[in-house]
Parts: sequence; C-alpha cells; structure tokens
Amino acid sequence: MYTYKSGIAQIDEKTGGFDAGTNILILGPPMSAADQLAYALTKPVPGEYAIVLSTNERAAEVIDAFKVAGADKRFTGVIDAITKSSTPGITDTARLMFVSSPTDLTGIGIKFSNMVETIFEGNFADGETGLFPPPIRFCVNSISTLLMYRRLEVLYQFLHVLTAKLKKIEGVGVYILNNESFDEKTLSLIKQLMNCVIEVKVEQNVNLMRIRGIPGVQGDWMKFSVSRGQVTIQP
Amino acid sequence: MISTGINGLDEMLGSGIPRGSRVLYSLEPGVDGQLFMISTLSCALAKKRSCLVVLPNTTVDAFRNDAQRMYGARPDLALAPVTFIDSVDWERIQKSSRSPAGRARELEARIRKICREYDVDVIFVYFDLLNEEFGTDDAAAIFTSVQEMEKEKKITLVIEHLNMEGTGLLDHFIRDLKFDLVLAIRSSFRPFPQFNYFTLVHTSWADLPARSVPFIIGEGRVIPYIPRIVVTGPASSGKSTFVLNAADDGHSVDRRGPGGSMTTVALDFGWIRWKDFDITLYGTPGQERFDSLLPSYLGHAMGALLVVDATNADQLPRARLLIEMVARRRIPFAVAINKCDLPGTLDPSLIRRILAIGDEIPLYQISATRKSDVNFVLESLVDSITQFRY
Repeated sequence: MYTYKSGIAQIDEKTGGFDAGTNILILGPPMSAADQLAYALTKPVPGEYAIVLSTNERAAEVIDAFKVAGADKRFTGVIDAITKSSTPGITDTARLMFVSSPTDLTGIGIKFSNMVETIFEGNFADGETGLFPPPIRFCVNSISTLLMYRRLEVLYQFLHVLTAKLKKIEGVGVYILNNESFDEKTLSLIKQLMNCVIEVKVEQNVNLMRIRGIPGVQGDWMKFSVSRGQVTIQP
Repeated sequence: MISTGINGLDEMLGSGIPRGSRVLYSLEPGVDGQLFMISTLSCALAKKRSCLVVLPNTTVDAFRNDAQRMYGARPDLALAPVTFIDSVDWERIQKSSRSPAGRARELEARIRKICREYDVDVIFVYFDLLNEEFGTDDAAAIFTSVQEMEKEKKITLVIEHLNMEGTGLLDHFIRDLKFDLVLAIRSSFRPFPQFNYFTLVHTSWADLPARSVPFIIGEGRVIPYIPRIVVTGPASSGKSTFVLNAADDGHSVDRRGPGGSMTTVALDFGWIRWKDFDITLYGTPGQERFDSLLPSYLGHAMGALLVVDATNADQLPRARLLIEMVARRRIPFAVAINKCDLPGTLDPSLIRRILAIGDEIPLYQISATRKSDVNFVLESLVDSITQFRY
C-alpha cells in the first residue's frame, strides 16, 4: 500500500509517512500557520495528485499558494466554493471546479467524485505517472467555514461519507478546523472521523505543533515553521 | 403524465409520472445525479408546463448556467417562463422571522402566491437546506399542503435531496409522507469505481418490482446503461449472428474454420442503443481453447446469454460446461435455442434436462437471423438485469 511522505522528519523517519487512507485533522487558531501546514501536507510530490476544497480562497489563490510551495500545478485540482457566487457563468475544467456556495454539499460531493474519476481515468493532466490507484492528497480548507453554513450533525454525516470514500480510493485527507471558534463537542465529533490530529498554537510569535494518533511519534509540542511548502521542525 | 426526461425510465414507469404525484430523487453523496431533476424540469418546460423551482442554496443565474452546462445547448431553461425562489429570496425569508415556524409560514405563503399567480403545474424543490432548517416532515409539509390546497389543479411535486441517512429516510418518504415515486441515485465501487446506478424504490401507481439500472451521463442526458452482456455458447451455435443482428454497430473477428465455415477467434462486439439503453454485447469464441478467456469476459458483465444450436445434440454437453462457468458469476442469464426455424430441432424440455437448468432460467426458441426474435430475447434479458440485485 502507498505511503504518503509528510515532509515532517519526525513522522517520515518513524513511520515512512502517512498510510493510504489516513485522515488528518489540523486544529489551529486563526492567524496561525495551520493553513500553511495543511497545504504543505497536501502538496503533491511527483507521481501524486492534490485536490483542495476551498471555502475561504478562490481557486486562483490556492493554485498560487501551491506554486509558491513548489507543487506542479498540473497535478493540483481545486473545488472552489467561493467564486461562483460572484461569477455565476464560470465553467468547470478538469482541474478547476466550482460550486455555488459552501452550503452546497450535493455539489461539493459531485465535484469531488468527478475530479477523482478524472484522475482515475488518466485525463487530469499531461504526463500521468501511471501509479494505480493514483495517490491523491485531499485538503478541506476549511471545516470551520462549512460549519458556519451547515449543522454539525449534517456536516458530520457528509464528512463521514467523504473520509470513507478517501479510504476506499487510498488517498490521504487533511482537514483544517479552527479550534477557538467551536465547542468541545464539535471538536470531539469531528475528531472521531480522523486517524491523526495535529494541533497548532502560537506563543510569542512562534508556531508550535503537536502530533497525536501516529504510533511511535511523540506528542510533545514542537516549534515549527513552513516556508515554500517545507515544514521545518526547530530545536 | 409528466415525463422524467429519461425515456428508459419513463418506459419503466408506464410513460412517466402521473400529474399530482409526489416524487423524490434521492442522491447519495458524490453521485452525479443532478441531471435527473434537470431533465424532468427541462421536459416539463418543453411541454409548456408552468414550473416553480425552489433552490435555497444558489442563485437563479448560477442555476441557469449549471443547467445549460449539463444540458448542452438546449434553450428550454433560458426561454421558458419559470419562476424561482432562490438563495437571495431564501435569505430574505430567513430574516423575516426569528422562529423556524415563522420562516416556514413565510415560505409557504410565497409558494401559494406564486402557484396562484402563475398557475403552477410542477414544483421542483432542492430540499437539502429546507430539510436542515425545518426538519423533514415540516419542510415536506410546506409543499404537500400547497398540493392539498390546490387539489383540483393536480400540482406535481418533485424533490431532489442529498440523502445521508440511507434507506430509513426513503421508507419515511414512502410510508409517512406518501410519496408516489422514490428513485434512489447511488454509486458503487463494484463492478468498477464510480459505477453509478439508480434504483426504482417505490411507485404508488403501479406494482413495479424494485429495479436498479446503471447509468452514464452523456450528450447532456442520463443514459441507462448496461456495460456488458456476454453472449456465449458452443462453436457455430449462432452467437455472431445474434450479436451482429442485435447491434446498431457490430464487429466480428472471424477466421475460416476447419470445416470451411467462419468461426470467431477473438470476440464479437456489438453496441446497441435500445429503448434508450446503451448496451454493449460481447460475443465469445465458441472453441474450448478460448475458455480461459471466458472469466475475463464475464468479469464486469451484468448478464449473459447462452446460445445453443437446436439441431445439434452433440453440442449440449459443451453448452452445459459453459453454463457452469456462467453460473459461478451469479448474474442473470438466459438460454437461446437457436436455429428453431430449421428441421430436426430438439425438444426444448429435453434441452433443459440435458443442460440441467431449472425453470427459473428462461429458455427462448429463436432464429438469430430474425431481428424480432433477437429483440425479444434482449428485452427479456434487460428486464432480468434491471430487476436483479447485484
């Protein structure tokens, strides 16, 4: 089974990376490096694909962020839940798909399936690498926004289906949730869907993270920074 | 009757949906099934029926664009006089009252007003957000009460809903909310990933069996689809004739056999658009040396047909072996006794006995050279396939 490199030495040296089917929750406050960390974990290495469901940024901004992180944009797809409300006539391409709003879970589910199908059929990008099943990193940025529009129970059911689907296709999922805006019940329910939780906090302008749920990896707080898609753990 | 916009489905329903019905298109998350609702809407508009579309999660412009993208260049939605309650209206309704009951009353009042002013025939509802806001029963009641009030008008109600609760919710719609047609649109990872199919769960006006039919989206429409029916049988039993006679477009890879007649050495391939179904037929070579290929042919097959020569008793032991290979796949299959127009044919009951098949396996006496015979067998096989639980 395929193993996804995390780019974090503490994980990759112990376990080789994330097993296929892993779902990772990144809990962090606003203005922390949670988004950057999520994108660094989602960035496709050669032979892989990335799909980002963006409820906060337009597709072009996501693609720019991935380009800056050193990702090959041909292997990065975005499901944009922002742009269509202001540009109703915008049309889908293989790599950029649009849903009317973050409330539209039907549309989000369909676009995700369509994008995965395009990848499986080998029609996503030039220079397909031929690995099967194709390794796919999927990022939801963010669950916090989805929770602002939909009830927790509904979103839980939806994410339950999505995480299960990701396991079936042997992908890896990265989900961002703002842990300061939601109560413990919400956090606890969402955590139930995950195999791994990475908590992020900021102290004196320094980003810290701790990793939970990966056997062999210690759950201590570690200083870290993200630059150009590379995560560096600082002493 | 209101057409669903999908001919194959209309035919199963007995020419469409009776006016005044309640219809649920239940979508499993991730299944590309939005075209079912769009097809029905487009068809209703093409017939000049007055429609109201309730879409709380998007704007009219975005909806029109999506519908036209899905439906290609068909102009129905852009030109037809259709009334909308969209996300902008929905925001206003949400601000109209602090209580859900107040908001439900406001929505219902708007719907009644529109129904009266525009003499609405069909209401189309994207139910997801309303279900979350009011609960299933209260949200449905907003629309069913309008139907009840305007009973003589026979307003048809068509709901699309993202069903994350499974069959329990479908039962609730059937038993408690008295829906007349419940169609579940689903997907599976078997026989291959992203395998989409719809299940006719319930129809109130006809005693139809639950049926599941695969579909593909193509040419801007939902196409019921049978990806593979395997036609097998002993050599020279008439498989190629069957496939080529059934197909709109068929090919056979033949060589001259030892006896001088043509024999298939790779496969026969036939593609048919039949009663709105897209069907592909795979005819196998009949000689024993190709038997190792048969499991691969049967791999993703949804049905199989065994063709035997009614005039050649020597073939029957071989046919029996092939039946055993097909039976292992647990897919619907039938037997066509071919060449029944020739003299010296064997008695069908004798053939059934030698092949050791029970009465549950259909046995047809045909001549593969007659298109009507071929079509009859196909029709029966498609019927079995759509009723079979895979």
